Amino acid sequence: MEQEKGRYLYGVAASERAVRLGPMGIEGCDVYTIPYEDFCAIVHNCPTEPYQSTDEETVKRWVSAHQGVLDEAKERFGAVIPFGFDTILQPGNEATSPDQVVKDWLKGDYERLRSIMEKIKDRDEYGVQIFYEPGVIGRQIAEQSQEIQKLKEEIATKSPGMAYIYRQKLEKVAKAEMEKLADKWFKDFYGRLKPHCDDIVIEKTRKADGDRVMLLNLSCLVHKKKVDSLGRELEEISNMDGFSIHFSGPWPPYSFVAKPVVPIKGE
Amino acid sequence: MQPSRDTHATLVDLLDRVLDKGLILNADLMIHVAGIPLLGVKLNAALAGMETMLKYGMWQDWDEAQRSIATEERRRTLRLAPQEMLHLSRIVR
Repeated sequence: MEQEKGRYLYGVAASERAVRLGPMGIEGCDVYTIPYEDFCAIVHNCPTEPYQSTDEETVKRWVSAHQGVLDEAKERFGAVIPFGFDTILQPGNEATSPDQVVKDWLKGDYERLRSIMEKIKDRDEYGVQIFYEPGVIGRQIAEQSQEIQKLKEEIATKSPGMAYIYRQKLEKVAKAEMEKLADKWFKDFYGRLKPHCDDIVIEKTRKADGDRVMLLNLSCLVHKKKVDSLGRELEEISNMDGFSIHFSGPWPPYSFVAKPVVPIKGE
Repeated sequence: MQPSRDTHATLVDLLDRVLDKGLILNADLMIHVAGIPLLGVKLNAALAGMETMLKYGMWQDWDEAQRSIATEERRRTLRLAPQEMLHLSRIVR
């Protein structure tokens, strides 16, 4: 069809089969595979316009459909290299068919795809976020820090004016202690999680809901044999007083397919 | 502890990944899409041709630093104007 010259790309799978996955794509589009040698691109036909909407529910529906196709593809083909939302290929000229453009791309990018596939085989991505509660931790710090204990004792003996200045100093010391501890935890937790992961991307921390602070936000590439041991490690951390954990997945390896392939060993 | 994908909290994880990550075809592409004001921009016009990419082998010489800048830009733009989220796009011509 004239308006359907675009090919929306969901991902690339290690299969040489041309198959139809059915009307499970974005807006119910028919999803199918375009093979080149032993790889295939998972696509649907679309106009050469990006999907755009300002409606949040629409966006969520599209993103869920995108993810749903990748789930189905993984079920069928094993490993899948995921694309981000709205990756669309279109022919550069009238003479080339849209499917041919996809084949040309697979051919041109074959070596890179092969090495990515090697890296993600038998592995999934997991999101790990570790939070702490400043209230609980603050009490622990106050109990353990001699400097804070001393300042507190001194405050009791001071005049109201001096006590005010001391309290400010106390807050500053407590904050510095907290930061020092956060730094230590970060290294400690990272070190504990690393042996369970083949690769880790450190993400920006986000503002957390409620009285929690996000200490660590990681995307982890984990071999299927190591998911349980990672879960146990996280369990231990979450059992520590004042800490909680958000553990999500398995996801397609979104965070590990765009960067150059370097082995993590030897780091 | 078992990983989960079904709660409301994991929706953010999903959006983060699908909208921000995944395999990328071209460095210039991302820079263009992310680096310019997205409001009302005709994305197709800004994007590099596939032949050009092949010719210069940009796929192979992908520069991680450039990508992280692009991703940063993209995230920043998303935060500033969430309603523009879906103007973000990656079309390769």
